[in-house]
Amino acid sequence: MAIERELFAKMVDFVQNCIDGIMIGAAYGLLAIGFTIIFGVMRRLNLSFGPSIMLGAFFGTWAFLTLNAAPWMVLAITIAGTVITGIYVERLCFWAIRRDATIASMVSSFAIWMQLDEVAILMLPGRTYPFPEMFVSGGLNFGPFFVRAEHLVTLLVTILMVVGIRLLLYRTTFGLALRAVSESSDAAKYMGINPSRITFLAFILVSLIGGVAGYLLLATDQQVTPYFGLWVTFKGLIAMMLGGMGSIPGAIIGGLVLGIIETQTQWYLGNAFKDMSAYVVLFLALVLRPGGLLGQGIAERQDLAFRRV
Amino acid sequence: MEYYLGIAQTIGIHALLGWSAYVLLLTGQLSLAQVGFFAIGAYVSAILTTMFGFHIVPALMVGALLGGFFAMLVGFPALRVKGLMLVVATIAFTQFVSLFFFNVHWRREVDGVMAGPDSTQGFREIRFYAANGWDTLDVTLFIWLFVLLVMVGLWWLDRSRAGAVLRAVGADDLAAQSSGINLTVAKVTAMTAGGVIAGLAGGLYAHSATYVDHLTFSVLLATFAIAYPIIGGIHNVLGTLAATIFIQGILIEGLRFLGDWRNILFGLLIILVMNLKPNGIMDARTMRAIKRIFAGGKTADSK
Repeated sequence: MAIERELFAKMVDFVQNCIDGIMIGAAYGLLAIGFTIIFGVMRRLNLSFGPSIMLGAFFGTWAFLTLNAAPWMVLAITIAGTVITGIYVERLCFWAIRRDATIASMVSSFAIWMQLDEVAILMLPGRTYPFPEMFVSGGLNFGPFFVRAEHLVTLLVTILMVVGIRLLLYRTTFGLALRAVSESSDAAKYMGINPSRITFLAFILVSLIGGVAGYLLLATDQQVTPYFGLWVTFKGLIAMMLGGMGSIPGAIIGGLVLGIIETQTQWYLGNAFKDMSAYVVLFLALVLRPGGLLGQGIAERQDLAFRRV
Repeated sequence: MEYYLGIAQTIGIHALLGWSAYVLLLTGQLSLAQVGFFAIGAYVSAILTTMFGFHIVPALMVGALLGGFFAMLVGFPALRVKGLMLVVATIAFTQFVSLFFFNVHWRREVDGVMAGPDSTQGFREIRFYAANGWDTLDVTLFIWLFVLLVMVGLWWLDRSRAGAVLRAVGADDLAAQSSGINLTVAKVTAMTAGGVIAGLAGGLYAHSATYVDHLTFSVLLATFAIAYPIIGGIHNVLGTLAATIFIQGILIEGLRFLGDWRNILFGLLIILVMNLKPNGIMDARTMRAIKRIFAGGKTADSK
């Protein structure tokens, strides 16, 4: 009887970890969607995605600390700040640099990263700042399981956003143009689409998604540091790579897998292994299945490239 | 004087790190794992000199060889993926190494004092230079000896058949493969050579800094390592050195008077260079211009 109860307690722990992992993983998935859209449209990596969300969040915190803004205003300022920073990054690192200079763009986006960090430190010269909590708090009990209200909001918002993105990409003209550019920007140009305008709009869309995801993550943690940018870039990249690049369902699944792996290792092996496990899993996943969990296999992709040639 | 020698040491170590990425960049691979090998070299050689009383030269050699060994181990699986996926896989490796050293706790009593890597506290007792009475000038010359060795070695490599093979793989791996080049061998060799150079640089860094901790070996440093050959251009070895001097000497030290605004300007200047010279500072055009200047000097002499 006692053994059964112990086993039951272990099962409860495991399921509870999975629930927490899914809730956090949902936000990771949003970040991964941001990376996926930019990578799909431009075939270039924007390392500054995380830092621009971080800077947006710093604008929000700044408003909260000095102007005593309400939570919904902090949300609005965070998103607006992220969008403005995103536009700045796009103009400087992607619009100004030739389309085929992939590496130059990546290095430039990294240089911008240092700039954004510095702006954040100049604005709030400290290390850690409180971030206002959401308008809801507390939690719900489902039998033996407990779900934080913030996590529930994160999950709901993520589902809404994913449905919205799906509709935007497959039901509107803008979505069609975006998919056309990501398929082949030259062909899109001949069809009268302006690729740099689509890229610009895609950047705004991605910054919106990033701003929301950043707000959800920070309002759950209730603190923000300049390291948040690095953290976001890593989580987003790992989730994108796990799911396979260029696939939106893949990005979500990658985020959920990453969230579950992290909470499970944190629970069973301790905090020190939480980040390490994510990197090991990523390395193995890339090496064993280079296309990602849902992506095309590398062989298929090369085949596709040959056919195009 | 001490100050300038310090900058010269930094430039030397960073140039080595840049060259370790340069070798791989010749084959068209963008790797951020170099800092992982740098960290391995730093910790291993520092452990040997501090905890086991080795002389610095064999310690550096062991660090470099281990760096190369791990590069080879990582190279086989990692080089199956390309482009951005390789970038992320190598970022994962660097972060993993950094977190590994974050958790290493191995102290040993040497001459009545405890020494060794102490997880979160870092590795503090690396005093080989001070204990053997080397002053800053000696250390600087010692570092630049290795810098020159590696530079001459890479220059020779560029001229040799091996260099041609590496560049052929970088230009078009499919064409290279059809001309009978074994891609895996070429890429893993480049990775191993890069690992050896990075391990050597790490050993030199640990001894001149006298203190290492896991935060040093971040993705920031890894991005610097690939930024040097990219900004300098991979036309020849001098590009990396020029870019290192440009970034470490001019942008970081020269702009120090700007205080906090330095990093903001830093980013803009890098983007400006990338826009004006997408193929690097020392691209074919710059090299022609330099040759013309030298040739002009010669004709003036002969008159």
